[in-house]
Amino acid sequence: MGRIVGGFATSHVLFPPAGVEAQAGRVLDGMMRMRAEIRALAPDLVVLAGSDHLNNFSLAMQVTLAVAVADSFTTLGDGGAPAVTFPGNRGFAEGFARFAARRDFDLVQAEEVRPDHGMAIPQLIIDPTNTLPIVPVYINCNMPVPPSPGRCYRLGGVLKDYVESERPAVERVVVVGAGGLSHWLCLPEQGKVAAEFDLDFIERMIAGRSAELAQLSAGEIETASGNGGLELTAWLFMAGAVPQARGEKLYYEPIPEWISGMGGVSLTPVGA
Amino acid sequence: MSLAPYRVHKLIQDLMRDPPRAAAFAEDPEAVFDAFGLAEPEKAMLRDGSPAALHKLGVHPNLQMKYARLRARPSGPPPAGGGPLAAYLDRLREV
Repeated sequence: MGRIVGGFATSHVLFPPAGVEAQAGRVLDGMMRMRAEIRALAPDLVVLAGSDHLNNFSLAMQVTLAVAVADSFTTLGDGGAPAVTFPGNRGFAEGFARFAARRDFDLVQAEEVRPDHGMAIPQLIIDPTNTLPIVPVYINCNMPVPPSPGRCYRLGGVLKDYVESERPAVERVVVVGAGGLSHWLCLPEQGKVAAEFDLDFIERMIAGRSAELAQLSAGEIETASGNGGLELTAWLFMAGAVPQARGEKLYYEPIPEWISGMGGVSLTPVGA
Repeated sequence: MSLAPYRVHKLIQDLMRDPPRAAAFAEDPEAVFDAFGLAEPEKAMLRDGSPAALHKLGVHPNLQMKYARLRARPSGPPPAGGGPLAAYLDRLREV
């Protein structure tokens, strides 16, 4: 059986450091620490969960849960992230879609996506060589009817079962959830940061209590942490893949100038 | 937040995927408004284009940002200056 050897989560934006140099430096340090920890785990591939900002999936066809199955991906080049091409893993991705269907999750298989900054910036953090295969999983909280936190967490569990039951014994998989933390995008509250909520979310996650967080409804997360806070459903997907895992806070900075709570965590799978 | 009628979102989504039409919108937004069948109150709020107006109309937050870019830079290359990651790219690209 394959193994999930690590779980990570991180915010998926960066903005100019002017006026917030110290906070920006700590955020970047945390992101670089995530890179180092992932590299030390020597994964064969990374499953990267995050949202699309109406660049690939629009309101014309509202996709909530999808796995990108192509052999390679070229990022969109938005949000300041350079457009790069990195490998996917078709066998893994298509196998996950088939396995998930047997576990009551009908994932959209996406052949043609250009991952936007929501995945491109994490990809740049994870692997600047653009050689590590990455399978994007869309937890598309930007749709008018987002997937529920509980469902995202359970899908992470399906990923774990897939890796452990159908993947080669030598395969080492890292799961990364991207997005968050609290932010209110294009709403009257924009600029507000719910640091207390963010830190509680992080503390409970690294204490192995993610299953509790998955009990929150999408509405509860949105009320507490804004429409952008719903990106934490990608964190819950990751946490579902490493149940009861404990870990460490890699960084947290509330930065109203960036209209966001910025954070990241590292989780060590039970038994690893 | 209740969402705007789909015709409003379709206008923004279609313009983002159609640079020539985006350029035409810059020249004559009224013709594009009419082509998408917008009602007068919808046109008024899109003409206003402020965050408050777009929020009141119920434009999806991600599409509010795209609409602002359409109005600021209907076509042509992205602005120079390196973008929001410029200060970090050297370190992020370290192998």
